[in-house]
Amino acid sequence: MTVTEPHTARPAPRFVRADGPDKVTGSGRYTADLSLTGVLAAKFRYADVSHARITRLDVSAALAMPGVMSVLTAADVPDVRFGPFVQDRTLFATDVVRYEGEIIAAVAATTAEIAQRAVDAIVVEFEPLPVVTDLEASLAPGAPLVHDGWAGYGAAEVVVRDRNDASFSSITKGDAAAAMATADVVVSSRYVADGCHAAPIEPRAVLAQWEGDKVTIWTSTQVPFDARAGVCETLELPANRVRIIVPHLGGGFGGKCGFHYEAHIAALARAAKRPVRLVFSRREEFLAPDRRREGMIIDITTGMRSDGTIVARTGWIAIDNGAYTADAGFFSQLAAMHLAGPYRVPNVSIEAHLVYTNHQPSGSVRAPTAPQACWALESHTDELAKAVGLDPVAFRKLNAVDTGAEGPSGQTYDEIGLQQCIDAATANAGYGQELPDDEAIGVAIGWWPSFSVPSGAYVKIDGDGSGQIITGAQECGTGAVMTLRQLAADELGMAPEDFQLVYQDTSVAPYDMGATGSQTLFNNGRAVVNAAGQVAEQLRKLAADHLEASPDDIVLADGHASVAGTPAATVSIAELAGIAAGGELLIGHGSGQPPGPPPLVGSTCVGDLGMAAFVAPQFSCHAVRVKLDRDTGVARVLAVSTAHDSGTIINELGALGQVEGGVLMGIGQALTEGTTYDDQGKQRNAAMLEYKLQTCADAPPINTHFVQIATPDAGPRGAKGLAEAPNVATAAAISNALAAIIGRPVRRLPMTAERVWETLNEEAAR
Amino acid sequence: MSLLIATTLDDALAALAAGARPIAGGTDLVVGARHGKAPLPASLVAIDRIESLRTIDRSADGGLVIGAGVSHHTIETDATIGAEWSALADASALVGSPATRHVGTLGGNVMNGSPAMDTGAPLVVFGAEAELASAAGSRRVDMATLWVGPGRTSAAADELCVAIHLPARALRSGSAYLRLEYRRAMEIAVVGAAAAVTLTADGAVGSVRVALTAIAATIVEVTGLTGGSVADVAAAAQAAAADQATPISDLRASDRYRRHCIGVMARRAVEAAARRAAGETIAIPVNRAVGIGMAAGATS
Ligand SMILES: Cc1cc2nc3c(=O)[nH]c(=O)nc-3n(C[C@H](O)[C@H](O)[C@H](O)COP(=O)(O)OP(=O)(O)OC[C@H]3O[C@@H](n4cnc5c(N)ncnc54)[C@H](O)[C@@H]3O)c2cc1C
Repeated sequence: MTVTEPHTARPAPRFVRADGPDKVTGSGRYTADLSLTGVLAAKFRYADVSHARITRLDVSAALAMPGVMSVLTAADVPDVRFGPFVQDRTLFATDVVRYEGEIIAAVAATTAEIAQRAVDAIVVEFEPLPVVTDLEASLAPGAPLVHDGWAGYGAAEVVVRDRNDASFSSITKGDAAAAMATADVVVSSRYVADGCHAAPIEPRAVLAQWEGDKVTIWTSTQVPFDARAGVCETLELPANRVRIIVPHLGGGFGGKCGFHYEAHIAALARAAKRPVRLVFSRREEFLAPDRRREGMIIDITTGMRSDGTIVARTGWIAIDNGAYTADAGFFSQLAAMHLAGPYRVPNVSIEAHLVYTNHQPSGSVRAPTAPQACWALESHTDELAKAVGLDPVAFRKLNAVDTGAEGPSGQTYDEIGLQQCIDAATANAGYGQELPDDEAIGVAIGWWPSFSVPSGAYVKIDGDGSGQIITGAQECGTGAVMTLRQLAADELGMAPEDFQLVYQDTSVAPYDMGATGSQTLFNNGRAVVNAAGQVAEQLRKLAADHLEASPDDIVLADGHASVAGTPAATVSIAELAGIAAGGELLIGHGSGQPPGPPPLVGSTCVGDLGMAAFVAPQFSCHAVRVKLDRDTGVARVLAVSTAHDSGTIINELGALGQVEGGVLMGIGQALTEGTTYDDQGKQRNAAMLEYKLQTCADAPPINTHFVQIATPDAGPRGAKGLAEAPNVATAAAISNALAAIIGRPVRRLPMTAERVWETLNEEAAR
Repeated sequence: MSLLIATTLDDALAALAAGARPIAGGTDLVVGARHGKAPLPASLVAIDRIESLRTIDRSADGGLVIGAGVSHHTIETDATIGAEWSALADASALVGSPATRHVGTLGGNVMNGSPAMDTGAPLVVFGAEAELASAAGSRRVDMATLWVGPGRTSAAADELCVAIHLPARALRSGSAYLRLEYRRAMEIAVVGAAAAVTLTADGAVGSVRVALTAIAATIVEVTGLTGGSVADVAAAAQAAAADQATPISDLRASDRYRRHCIGVMARRAVEAAARRAAGETIAIPVNRAVGIGMAAGATS
C-alpha cells in the first residue's frame, strides 16, 4: 500500500497562478465589466409558463418604444433546430413553449430599463398544454408528449429514443436474472434525487459586436469553441467569421458548458447595427440556462452470496431531462455506469431513461449524474453490508475493483489505486474509533472517466527569452490552464513565471473542447508538452551549434542550455532566443494523439455513447464524520477525509483546491441544495436565500491524500483528470453516516433536515 | 429620488415629517428593493451617521438603553449585553454574515418588523420598550404593541425609533436565544425561541418568559408558563410553544416540522437560560454550543 500519512501542512505553492493576482485584487475583467461605444442592453422575454402553445405574439408595441433598437423572435433568425444529441431546440420558441425559462423574444435598447419595459410590452397569448413533471408518468404509455414532433427530429445515430424518452441506454453483462435467482441474499432499494444547480458566482454575460460581416462575441462560457459552433450553426455563418473571446470567467461548474445566448446577442447586434450586451440577473441564472443538475429516480437490486460477494446487479434509472436534451444525451449511459459502480459485478443489467419533462433542461454540471447515482449506489452498498453482517468498509474492500480486475462493463483495469484510496481515506478519518451515539463516519467510493479528445496549443519564445503559451484551453477556475505553465517550463528548463498565457480566444488559438469533462490538463497538457518539446528541439540545435556539441548532449535547465557533463559549456535560453530572432523563430505547435478507449469484453450496451469504457479512470474514497441533532434532523459535517487516484499530481496546491471545492459542493448537494418546483413545474427557490449553498462558515476541515500511480496512456506524466472526481462521493458518504446514526438511509436527496427528521420519525413509528 | 444624510436627530425628524423614510444599514430596505419586494422610497433620510443613535448607556435603574443605530456586530461583542442580556447577543451574533452584522442595526431589525427577525424574541422576553420620536415629541411602546403584522409596526410614518430600553436584569436570571438554521451563515430563522429565566434561591425556576420567532405573523410570547423545576418548565415550554404556534408551510419548512421544532427551540432556550441564570458561561451565540450549532471540527 502507498503512504497513508495524514496530510498536515499545505505544500508551498510551486508558483502563483497567473490569474490569481488579477482576480484577488479586482484588476481582472469579466464579461459584464466590458463596454463598447454605443453598446445596447439586451433583455429576454421568457415563457413564464411551463407548457403552452403560443396563440398570439405581437412585438409591435415594444418595437415602437423610443430607445428600442431591435426586437427579435423566431421569425427573425434562420429556422434551425440544434442540439448536440437530439436537435430539439431553437433559438426562440416557435409555436410551443416547454419550460418557464424558454426565450420567446429578445430586445436591445439604449438602457436596460427601456429594454425591460419593451419586454413587458410584448403581447403573448397562450393555450395551456398539459404540464409533465413526474418522471414515471412521463414514461407511461399515453403520457402527454413534451415534443409532439420528436420522431422527426434529427439526432445522433446512436441515441435510442421513444416519445418522452430522449435517450435510452443499458448495460448488460452475463445473465443478471439467472444469477439473482441463485443469490443467497438480495437487497432492493429506491432512491430519489432532486435536481440542483451549478450556481457559479458570476451570472452569465454576453457582449457582441459586428464589424462588416464578422462578429466578435465576448462571453462567459466554459467552452468557447462549442459556443462558436453554436453561433455558426444557428446563424448560418462559417467559423472564420465568428470570434469568441472569454474574459476572466467567474466560475461555471458545468453550468456554462454548451452554447447559450451568444447567437441571440449576435443577432440582436446585427439587427440593431450596434454592439449589444446581456447581463443576467441571479434569477435568470437559476431559471433560463439548459444546464442544471438532473433529478433522478433510481431503483437498484443486488444479489450476493452469504459471504458478501456480489453476484448480480440490476437497476432502473429515470433521469429528468427537462424540456430539451442539451448535452444530456449521454447521461443515461453515464448514470448506468455510476449505478453499476467500481465493483466486480459479474452479472449486470441496468437500464436508464433520459426523460422529457416541462422542467428547465438538464445539462452537464460537475460530474453529471455521478453524485446522485453514487449516492444511491453507495447508500445501497451500506444496506448490502448490513444485510450480510459485514462492516461497510470491509464489504467495499471485498467487492471493489482493483488492478487487473474486471469491472461491471467488462473493462479490465491497468494499475489503479481504488483499494489504496479506501485504506487511506478511512485511516485518515479514524474509521472504527468509538464515537458518541449521535456521530458516525460514513464511507463511499466513486469513479470518473478521463475524457480523451483532440486539443491544441502553440508555444513560442520571443527574442528577449520570454515565453508564451497560446492555447485553446479555457480556464473556469480550476487552475488547469494555469498549470500548463508548469508543463511548458519543465519541458524547456525554464520557470513557470517565464510564460504568459494567451487563451480563451477562438481566433488566436487551436481547438480545445473547453473547461468540461475534467479534460484540460489531460488533453491540452499533452498539446503543450508537444509544442514545448518542439521548441526544446530547436533550442538544443541552436545551443549545439553555439557550443559546438551534439544536440543530444544539450540539457535545458535553469534557463540555460548546457552540454551534459560539461557545465562550463553553457548559454542562456535568452541569448539563444536572441539568436533565433534573427533567423528561424522559436515556435512550437502541439496536439498529439489522444489515447483510445480501452476494450470491453462480454458486455453489450444499447444506446452506447462511449461512456462504458473509462479511459484512465479516476477513483476516490470519501470518509465523512457527521453529527446529527436528533431532535431537529439538522446534520453537521464535522470532518472529511478524502483519497483520490487521479494519477500523477502536477500542481498539488491546485489539486487540493479542486478536492476541497468538490467536497463543499458535495456537502451542499447532500444536505441543503435542491431545486423545488410548484405543481406547474416552475422553480420555487430560484434565489440565493432559498437555494442554500454551503458557506465558508459551514466548511469542515478536509484532509486529502493523493494515491499517485503514473497511469500509462493518460495525460502528461501520467496525470488523469481531477476537477469532477471530488464531487462524486461526498453526498454518498454523508448519507452513510446519517444511516449509521439513524439506523436506516434517508432516501431523498438532498437529505434536508426535515427529510432526516421524517426518516427518524418513521423509524420511531416502527 | 432624494437622499438626505442626516447627522443630527433633529434633521432626521424634520425629514421624516416632510415624508422621508429612514434608512439605517439598508440591509433590509435595499435588498428588499432589489428583490422586487417594494421599490425604494422616493425620499430617504440616512440615519447611520447620527452619533446619538449609536450609543449604549446604563439607565439609572440598572437597565440598558441601546441606540437604534447600534449594529449587530457591536451588540454581539458588547461585554455588558453578553453577560446580562445574553439572548440579545445570541440573536445579533446569528444575523447574516460579518458584513451584514457590521452594517445592519438593531433599529432596522425591529422596525422592519419581519416575523423572522432574530432580535425580536429576546426583546419580548426582556420586556423591552421601543422609544419612538417625531418632531412632535417622543413616546415608549412595548414590543407587542409595536409589531402589528408582517412588516408592519404601529409607529407613525414620521416616527423614528431612537432607542430600545431594556429593564434591569434580576438577580439569578439568565437568557438565551436559539434558532433552527440549515447553515451557519447567511441564514434566516426557520423558527427561533428566546427565554428569560429567573431562578429561586434553591435553583428552581421562579419566573420564565418565552417568545417565538417565525411561527406567526409577528413575534409572539408563549402564555401560561409558571415556575417549577428547570426540567418541568423546559418541558412545559416545549409543549406550549408547539401548541401555541400557528406556523405556515413554505420553502423553508412545513408547518408540521416548524411546530415540532419550535417546541425543541423553546425547551433548549429555557435550559440554556437556566444554566446561564445559575452562573454558567455559555459562549455567544448559544446556537453554536448546543445541538444544531455544533462547530465543524469539534468533537462534542
Ligand atoms: C444577507 C442578509 C442576511 C440577513 N440575515 C438576517 C438574520 O439572520 N436575522 C435577521 O433578523 N435579519 C437578517 N437580515 C435582515 C437585516 O440585516 C436585519 O433586519 C437588520 O437588522 C436590518 O437593519 P438595517 O439597519 O440594515 O435596516 P434598514 O434596511 O436600513 O431598514 C429596515 C427598515 O426599517 C426602517 N428603519 C430603519 N431604522 C429605523 C429607525 N431607527 N426607526 C424607524 N424605522 C427604521 C427602514 O425604513 C426600513 O423600512 C439579513 C439581511 C441580509 C441582507
